[in-house]
Amino acid sequence: MQPLSPFELEVARLLVDTLHLEDVKPEEIAPEEPLFGEGLGLDSIDALELALAISKTYGFQLRSDDKENRRVFASLRALSQHIQQQRVL
Amino acid sequence: MSRNWARLPERGSPLALWLIRSIALYLGRPVARLLLYPITLYFLIAAGDARRSSRRYLRRALGREPGWPQLFRHIHWFSATILDRVYFLTGRLDHFQIEIVGGQAILDQLRSGRGCILLGSHLGSFEALRAVGASLPDFPIKILMNVEHNRALTRLFEALNPELARAIIPIGRPETLLAVQESVSRGCLIGALGDRVAQDDKTVRCQFFGRETAFPIGPILLAALMECPVVLCFGLYRGGNRYDVHFEKLAEKIALEPRRRQEQLGVWVQRYADRLEHYARLAPYNWFNFYDYWSEDAP
Repeated sequence: MQPLSPFELEVARLLVDTLHLEDVKPEEIAPEEPLFGEGLGLDSIDALELALAISKTYGFQLRSDDKENRRVFASLRALSQHIQQQRVL
Repeated sequence: MSRNWARLPERGSPLALWLIRSIALYLGRPVARLLLYPITLYFLIAAGDARRSSRRYLRRALGREPGWPQLFRHIHWFSATILDRVYFLTGRLDHFQIEIVGGQAILDQLRSGRGCILLGSHLGSFEALRAVGASLPDFPIKILMNVEHNRALTRLFEALNPELARAIIPIGRPETLLAVQESVSRGCLIGALGDRVAQDDKTVRCQFFGRETAFPIGPILLAALMECPVVLCFGLYRGGNRYDVHFEKLAEKIALEPRRRQEQLGVWVQRYADRLEHYARLAPYNWFNFYDYWSEDAP
């Protein structure tokens, strides 16, 4: 399995802390696995909570009408890339 | 509560929906209401599971053993509200005498320009809310719904009121609640029902009619994350053409501390369950969860 980049690990920590995923270790999240439904099994409330934490930490809003959302939420890797492109903090 | 309701065969087949709609709209309410008697009798005899759930619930709500008249009345009131749903959704509100109780809670909310969670249940008719909305100049509302589990209802909405069907936000996609948050910040009311647990819902155990059962934490957690108030809404059927729509502020703000989050959510959900029980005692025949609500059949 491909290891996480340092930034992916940072996002993975944010994800685990925000969502209180007690039985998940950040460094063990598979970067290409789906975050929602199958894979990590997150739901839409988790997505909102994650979006709020991202906005607090990186200073930009994830918007519901963004056509990219499906891709953004697809995996840790996609999410990390999106944050890196959009972050203002 | 059990998740059994999701496995119930959908009684709202396209044919049944077409039939209800045609009867309601072309024959009119008085004739349609006469037809409810044989329909109720049929379900009372044929739907054994629903009858057993009704009996268990009524035993608790009435505090005594229900007889056939009480069981009949329970199913009859259920079918009466299903019929009336057609009129509510098509805006034929002149049929009804509707009393609004605690309306100030919702007026204040609308005036504040901030959205809120409008938390209802399967007690009575959430659609009676349409009558309240119609009496106000502006009533921005969206309904959070598990479309997968409510295909029949969604179809009914689409057939009767396409505009309202567009106000439904389907739960399930990651971006769903981002849309909800944006609506709330624009002052929109977000309708949600808090008394049924869907497959992957996070839940908390609450006391309900003196027995423990699971309730979803979703709506309360959502309000906490969005930092918006929660207003309760119960549209109770009172027989004939009468409905009482009750509003009640549950919380101005749901504050959660990270370490005590589950416990604090549990307190709020229990308050919802307490109010639900209060209104169920007030209008016992309005309980429209005809399944094993307390998971008593579980092995």
